[in-house]
Amino acid sequence: MLDYLRLEVRRTLRDVGFVIGGVAMPVMMYLLFTNLGENDGSWKAQAMVGMAAYGAVGSALNTGGGVAEDRATGWLRQLRVTPMTSRQVVVGRALTGSVTVLPAIVAVLAAGGLLNGVRLDVWQWALVAVLLWLGSIPFTLLGLGNGYRLTAQTTGVTNMVCNLGLAVVGGLWFPVTLFPGWLRSLSVYTPTNRFAELGTSVTGGHAPAPGAILVLPVWLLVFGSYAVLSYRRSAGTI
Amino acid sequence: MTKTTGAPPAVSFAGAVKTYGEVRAVDGIDLRIARGETVALLGRNGAGKSTSIALLLGLVEADAGAVELFGASPEHSVRSGRVGAMLQEGRAVPRVTVRELVTFVAGRYPAPLPVARALELAGIAELAGRRVDRLSGGQTQRVRFAVALAGNPSLIVLDEPTAALDVEARHAFWDSMRAYARRGHTVLFSTHHLEEADAHADRILVIDRGRIVADGSGDLLKRSVGGNLVSFDLAGRGTRGLSLLPGVRSVEVRGDRARLRTDDSDATVVALAELGAVRGLEVAPASLDDAFLALTARIPEAV
Repeated sequence: MLDYLRLEVRRTLRDVGFVIGGVAMPVMMYLLFTNLGENDGSWKAQAMVGMAAYGAVGSALNTGGGVAEDRATGWLRQLRVTPMTSRQVVVGRALTGSVTVLPAIVAVLAAGGLLNGVRLDVWQWALVAVLLWLGSIPFTLLGLGNGYRLTAQTTGVTNMVCNLGLAVVGGLWFPVTLFPGWLRSLSVYTPTNRFAELGTSVTGGHAPAPGAILVLPVWLLVFGSYAVLSYRRSAGTI
Repeated sequence: MTKTTGAPPAVSFAGAVKTYGEVRAVDGIDLRIARGETVALLGRNGAGKSTSIALLLGLVEADAGAVELFGASPEHSVRSGRVGAMLQEGRAVPRVTVRELVTFVAGRYPAPLPVARALELAGIAELAGRRVDRLSGGQTQRVRFAVALAGNPSLIVLDEPTAALDVEARHAFWDSMRAYARRGHTVLFSTHHLEEADAHADRILVIDRGRIVADGSGDLLKRSVGGNLVSFDLAGRGTRGLSLLPGVRSVEVRGDRARLRTDDSDATVVALAELGAVRGLEVAPASLDDAFLALTARIPEAV
């Protein structure tokens, strides 16, 4: 299983599309959004968390793209005729997702700390990184659900729509305070908004709202069920 | 059926059936493959080769009947590392080198080949550091062969392994396959190339419409449909009575030429001479093509 994880992580990191879209883009967007015009320090910290979250969501969804590709090339079918069990393959893939979200998180936090002068205590940096890491799990499951259900091409498009849609509505790119009221009330129910809130509560030095602790597990359950259903549906055809 | 050895056969099918909607892709197959045999599964496209292989590997389950590998369920035998397979239409795994891929697969098996040996057997030692998705079609195919044999499985299953290979790559591939079979492993490959089945297998199973219609060596198959082909110009005479001549098993007319399949070409020729039907007379051994066509004929041949 560890070998499988290592192999898949390596394959993901060799994907130029992943490195540009999943790591370089969030960093560039972060630097752009926080250095154009007048910005105060709190926005730099908040946007840092938002963009790290955006990068993590993209990377997590990308795991599903990998699954769709592996279905198309027959690699998953080939694994079925090795001694590996299906469970090992699925769990290995999910773990791959949880590893490949790290570069985006680390890169954006580093840009915040080193280039944008965001100052936090050591425990805050660590806690932000860990919460963003754990909070990305529902999005890995969403990606896997797409990857097991859809073709490689539609998975790519669907992941992108999910990523952009959830990022914008969830307030990862722009603060929700700029949104009209109806959108703002919608935003708090998105998984991305609550995901970022885990991080911003730490940088802001307060505990996350009870809502965040409630909404995110609901999405975890929804996306997890979606992933399981998709996997079951595809199991016969892999 | 009596067992002659204590060890269960490498492969056994007992009345295996697999239907897809209306289509009986595998329609009651019984067969046993002993350990160490090299067997070809020969059939047209859509004859049921790939479905048989999917059943054998436990990728699909039989609707009726039983399939066993080494006396256990296919799934169990695959999990215990006794089986390696090269599936049809597998494409290159993206963004991984040949060595990484083969090392990974070998590591899944309890007693794999050393990676260098697996690469050497597949004839791709010099490609070890190359990325799999940047190789030619023939090279990719041999990487897939290396993946199939990396775990040193007792049974290796190759589904149309030479489809889309050029002649040279095909030769290289069969050399590799024979080297693996010589190590005492059981090899089952499917093909629709008759010459390949004849040249590289100890035993040929002809499959048609989901059933095994013939089982034996290439020579045996040729004999089973009439050992020789006697042909001559009809020159206007009819074909009446030809099928009653000694030795003749079937009569076919192509243009103005009659083609008689016969078990006893000498007797057939003598009888034809008595009839004066000797213009352009030729005697040729039946080819495997003839055997195959006769065995899988959709419509009984007109006599």
